[in-house]
Amino acid sequence: MRPAIAALVVGLVALVLLAGLIALPEPGAPDSPAQRHVSAEYIDGGSQAGGAANLVTAVLLNYRGLDTFGEVLVIFSALVAVLVVLASAPQTGSAQPAQRLAPSPVVAFIVRLMAPFMAAFAAFVMISGAHLPGGGFQGGVVLGAMTILLAVAMGRDRVARMLRGGARFWVRAAAPLVFALVALIGWASTGWWFGLPGPGPFRDALVLALDIAIGVGGAAVLAGIFLALSRE
Amino acid sequence: MDALLAHLDYVAVTIVFCTGLYILLVRQNLLKKLIGLNIMETAVFAFIVTTGMVDDGDPPLLTGELGPLFASPLPHALVLTGIVVAVSVTSLALALIVRVHREHGTIELDELLDRDGR
Amino acid sequence: MAATDLFDLAVLTLMIACVISIARTRDLVKAAVLFSVYSLVLCLLWVHRSAPDVAMTEAAVGAGITVALFLYTIAHVGRHEK
Repeated sequence: MRPAIAALVVGLVALVLLAGLIALPEPGAPDSPAQRHVSAEYIDGGSQAGGAANLVTAVLLNYRGLDTFGEVLVIFSALVAVLVVLASAPQTGSAQPAQRLAPSPVVAFIVRLMAPFMAAFAAFVMISGAHLPGGGFQGGVVLGAMTILLAVAMGRDRVARMLRGGARFWVRAAAPLVFALVALIGWASTGWWFGLPGPGPFRDALVLALDIAIGVGGAAVLAGIFLALSRE
Repeated sequence: MDALLAHLDYVAVTIVFCTGLYILLVRQNLLKKLIGLNIMETAVFAFIVTTGMVDDGDPPLLTGELGPLFASPLPHALVLTGIVVAVSVTSLALALIVRVHREHGTIELDELLDRDGR
Repeated sequence: MAATDLFDLAVLTLMIACVISIARTRDLVKAAVLFSVYSLVLCLLWVHRSAPDVAMTEAAVGAGITVALFLYTIAHVGRHEK
């Protein structure tokens, strides 16, 4: 599209958006409709009805558990689709092979030194998602980023050999499977799909299991996508 | 004009969204178009989180030492799901771009359309 | 009003400057690195908006994982757009 026509279209879109956004209440006003109806109920319900002192985790896993199940399925299907698209034989017409530059020894040493601390931090964020900012997916992306750093420092093939065969398959599918299992448990104990039981140690254990499964599953999916893209 | 200054966050989000849309429309390189799409997605996330913000509000943690005014937790949960979906879409688009380059040798859209005979 | 202190104005200006630089450059590696900078600035904005979970996720995803995937794809397809 020619830049002039595109500028015209973009200008029209900007005018329409601004006309709509100016009519909204000011950002930060405490009595806007976004703060009053459903959010006020969630904040008043508190950690008793919600299941966690961190209200974002309570919303993600308890009030809107079905949406989180959909999100976990989306990222798993992205992994499957990437593996299917990149599965055919490589090197049919590439111009020149990519040159492998080893990272400098300082970078490699620092990454290997920091990797256990990164893993410990990721585990802490995953487990303490109920009462501190954090939760399942936050810990999972830190773990995935650690895997990418290790692959850059140690070579991609060594990292790909770390988890092989059947274990790789089950770890990648961990998040949807555990979620479905918790949905069944919820149906058995409360009569609703994804319904968590009343306050108590059983509900805390279920929330912890969900957090760990989402974290580990998300990290395995992101590492899998990275390993597929960096294969050649 | 006063209304524009009062809603300065929303004006900035609109400018970022429209720049992303311009990149998506004008640039012919598929990877640049994907960057433009990511910019549009993050602008929408910024807008959603800003609607849940309260002046002098605290993060939505009920541990007992944070004040009476909380930011709303619902937009934060929506944006978390949105970030996951954005990562999925980006990774699948990158895999498709690598495949297109393998098959045709180029990722410029006008060259791909010319090659197709249009 | 929500965006009148200096930190907010600086962060919003930096966001717009990053995005305009991405639009103007023709080098894809420069665009990927600028995108990483833009993600970190966005993470600062969200900490200021009392959203720590979102900031943590955006810092790891936008500044780490997405940019790593972009750079590996650029290694396959070539660095400059025509």
